[in-house]
Amino acid sequence: MATDPESTTSQALPADSAKAKPGLSDPERWVDWHGDYLFKYAMMRLRDPTQAEDAVQETFLAALKGGRAFAGRSAEKSWLVGILKNKICDHYRRASRETSFTDLEFYSDEESERFVAEGVVKGAWIHELGPQEWRHPGQSLDNERFWQTYRDCSGKLPKTIAAVFNLREVDDLDSKAICRMLNISESNLWVMLHRARMALRRCLETHWFGKGGERL
Amino acid sequence: MSWFRSLAGALSILSPTCRQATRLQSEARDRSLSFFEKLGLRLHLFLCKWCRRYGEQLKFLRSAAREWEQDESRQAPQGLPPEARERIKEKLKSSRE
Repeated sequence: MATDPESTTSQALPADSAKAKPGLSDPERWVDWHGDYLFKYAMMRLRDPTQAEDAVQETFLAALKGGRAFAGRSAEKSWLVGILKNKICDHYRRASRETSFTDLEFYSDEESERFVAEGVVKGAWIHELGPQEWRHPGQSLDNERFWQTYRDCSGKLPKTIAAVFNLREVDDLDSKAICRMLNISESNLWVMLHRARMALRRCLETHWFGKGGERL
Repeated sequence: MSWFRSLAGALSILSPTCRQATRLQSEARDRSLSFFEKLGLRLHLFLCKWCRRYGEQLKFLRSAAREWEQDESRQAPQGLPPEARERIKEKLKSSRE
């Protein structure tokens, strides 16, 4: 597939300034090779098939402009994922101009019943309801059924909560960058992240670790 | 009595409840905690196995979230719909011409 020995592989940002090199790699083949992956990725982040399709299309069009060749399918894939991530961020930026990204309603009191409500130990975990021991969490990562549970649990988070969680944990953007992108305050972001983690943790415990999923 | 109130305030930072400790453990992943917040959290974690677990599990969430994007098989089963695939190909073709 690599037709240009001089081209550097991977890490290349989709620099718009890059000279187009038509014919180096067949863009329609990109769609067959990477379309599914990019679409699934976009679905997880945007949760809307139309928006995900648009993001994928924009990604390929930007890639065509960038016009690079890669010495391998996986290098090409990472390059395309990089472009897609930018497109997803653009989408969040646009969305944040239309509606508020802050969601402080979600899970605001859900976890209360797990803490002692009154008395000297107020605010302590009620022991039976506190975090359970998760056995072999590392092994779960190799289990297909774990990922199904993970997707289900992540899918239960409201869109904006899932968006900030992924920007922070997957993309590793810092708080300030996320707040700038989504036009929200840092303290609101921290509350949202706290609730996202609480909800996701609890869901995985209920539907995977608590059910002995890790032993399957 | 104001010294009493500030002492009470300091003590409450130094001995957070589990509820506060879960929030602090989450926030510690997103901002730097103050000296007293850190100290209070450390003391709490030293004594509380539930909150220690909670912290470990937050770490796991991050590694799961990161692992997720590495491998196709971990993603949702449905791929790019065929109509969209054709449409995008057409679009690419026409924008190349």
